[in-house]
Amino acid sequence: MTSIAGMTNMRLKFPGEESLLFKDFSLSLNKGEKVLLLGPSGSGKSTLLQVLTGLIPDSVEVPMKADDIIIPDSWGFLFQDPDTQFCMPYVDEEIAFVLENLQVPREKMKSCIEYYLREAGLTFKDIHTKIQTLSGGMKQRLAIASVLALEPEVLFLDEPTAMLDPEGTKHVWETIKNVGENKTVVIVEHKIEHVIDFVDRVILLGDNGEIIADGSKEKVIDQHKQVLIDQGIWYPGVWEDYIQTRTRNTTAASINKEQEAVHLSDFSAYRGNNEVLHVEEANAHPGEWITVLGENGAGKSTLLLALMNLIKFKGTYRILEKEWKQIKLFADSITFVFQNPEFQFVTNSVYEEVAFTLKLKKWREEEISSRVNELLDLYHLQHHKHLHPYQLSTGQKRRLSVAASIVKEQPIILLDEPTFGQDAKNTFSLLEQLEQLKEEGAVIIMVTHDLNIAEHFATKVWRVENGKLVEEPPSPDYLEKQQTAVNL
Amino acid sequence: MAIDFSYKETWLHKTNPSLKLIIIGLLFIQLLMIHNPNVLINYMVGTLLLYLFFTGHPWKRLFIIAIPFLLIFLTSSTSMIFFGQGEVTWMKWGLVHITEESFFRGLHLGFRGIIFAALGVIFALTTRPVYLFYSLMQQLKLKPKYAYSFMAAIRLIPIMIEEMQTLHYALKVRGVQAEKGIRGFYKKLKSYAIPLLSQSIRRAYRIAVAMEAKRFSNHTNRTYFYKLGFSRFDVLLMGCLLTIICLAYYTGIHHPYFSITDVRHNS
Repeated sequence: MTSIAGMTNMRLKFPGEESLLFKDFSLSLNKGEKVLLLGPSGSGKSTLLQVLTGLIPDSVEVPMKADDIIIPDSWGFLFQDPDTQFCMPYVDEEIAFVLENLQVPREKMKSCIEYYLREAGLTFKDIHTKIQTLSGGMKQRLAIASVLALEPEVLFLDEPTAMLDPEGTKHVWETIKNVGENKTVVIVEHKIEHVIDFVDRVILLGDNGEIIADGSKEKVIDQHKQVLIDQGIWYPGVWEDYIQTRTRNTTAASINKEQEAVHLSDFSAYRGNNEVLHVEEANAHPGEWITVLGENGAGKSTLLLALMNLIKFKGTYRILEKEWKQIKLFADSITFVFQNPEFQFVTNSVYEEVAFTLKLKKWREEEISSRVNELLDLYHLQHHKHLHPYQLSTGQKRRLSVAASIVKEQPIILLDEPTFGQDAKNTFSLLEQLEQLKEEGAVIIMVTHDLNIAEHFATKVWRVENGKLVEEPPSPDYLEKQQTAVNL
Repeated sequence: MAIDFSYKETWLHKTNPSLKLIIIGLLFIQLLMIHNPNVLINYMVGTLLLYLFFTGHPWKRLFIIAIPFLLIFLTSSTSMIFFGQGEVTWMKWGLVHITEESFFRGLHLGFRGIIFAALGVIFALTTRPVYLFYSLMQQLKLKPKYAYSFMAAIRLIPIMIEEMQTLHYALKVRGVQAEKGIRGFYKKLKSYAIPLLSQSIRRAYRIAVAMEAKRFSNHTNRTYFYKLGFSRFDVLLMGCLLTIICLAYYTGIHHPYFSITDVRHNS
């Protein structure tokens, strides 16, 4: 077999880092192979793709050297973030941008654009459509179409579905499988259930940028399962394994049916002047874990924003049996964890971040310091307390945003897809911490796409559909176990 | 949150953007040479007609955009009216000294400000940035490197607006209450600017890499999806502006509103 891409004895170091990311690293990819690259975050998977395409050091200046590097003659690169792949505002213009780069004559462009969109499984009434109006999944498929316009031999995919909902993820992988059939494909991904039957070779990287395993998928996954668990990779069956090792099961015992933490009736939430969501009646009791499910754009986030009094709403809304109008500061009884943790950081250090709300409340210095340290220990952030929040890793940022949000021990916690983009290990530890809060009597109201969370953690589901909210039990088999305890 | 900014395409949209840019630039300079308020008022009426009837945007939007015009008029005229030099005193009160000359000179400046604003806004409202940059590359040989960077940057603006909204919510959730005064303003600026900038820098960097991954390079011989040339609409634009200017001069000189023909002091 011929090698289509690869490197021998590559050394690479990011400026400012103490040690080499890769030391004498060698890898060879064969023509027609479908390769999956696995490894913990920060192990240099994305960097590796960029070296294999020559983006490092041509476009991204990183000091590196190698005895030999083979870069494929034609390649296409699909990135993670649907919003940062495009430089033009309209669908046709974006693909035209690639065609212009390749100096395709103007007369041929229109038919080329239509051809590549079809290949990527996209149809538009008018190809002059604003990219802004597309869903994340459609944006990624548009990115595939513009990559196809490069007529690549090798496709490099850097977690292309990390920011998509399950629906979009499914479509994108289907498209990739279709277009990648006769090409060499290199994939970096930590949610591997969709790709595992497509790839034939798996390369597992370790913490120090070394190859732990390289071989057929069956061999690597069977022999290195513990490594996959430790690295937090979402391998197929990760939930089953987790549930088996879980020490404690979700119980409904903590629910305090006497009290209503949140009561909604005839409640409408508005965006501008349009009613987006209507709730006939819904209740949440202390000790409950409610997952809010529904399709993209159904109004899930709108519900949370309205509960937090950030957008306009009408109707009856009681918090801890108090009318909402009598509540001076919503932030005292409700807290909100956003999808992107960075938007919640308001100070310059991890410690200050957690202490912030308490300082606003004029707590005494000793009280603040003991409460903050307690939380930093609990959320494994004690060693990083002097860092700037932006310097933390993705998982640490998420933990910090939760710690900073719940520091006042508000009884109601709203979360908007908090496990989004987190690896398996971080997800489970976050869920366990939330469970702990729930046991202590808080209400968790969480928007998520992950049905596993609804099944294994929730005590109730709020399903948002066509602008209406319906209460239902988490899932049929969950219900069987719990029916005696909870009357849903 | 999508911002609706749809409009009806008019002949002004179909003119060549580079030409339009150059013409408006020249008009800005020519405006500075007009000292007769009678001519200037006619000139202003002409440009406002263009603004109101030929940009293809809905009335409500046009009027909202016009509010700052009034502000420009007030600020630039009042300072000259109150503090300008002149002989025929109308009112004197401390530092404020209103004379006939300064009054007309102030009005003149205010009108000029309005024309500047109207011309600029006409340009902005009738030019798609993408066409402008394609035209700059094709007619004025702007390097693609700059043109595409600008186009990519423009794409980021709506994303930033959305982020600002999220940030606003997030700060409210943390219980941040707006402080008053300069200190409060500074704090607010800091709490918005840093996260927005950090996100934008990261995004810009990623877009740059993505563009190079799509084989974007600084070749000058690229092909273009949009071919922008000149058309009869460009002739129409020039004819229209020429008519406005000629009419403004003719009626301004032969049928003046005021007896003053030159607002400059000592001339």
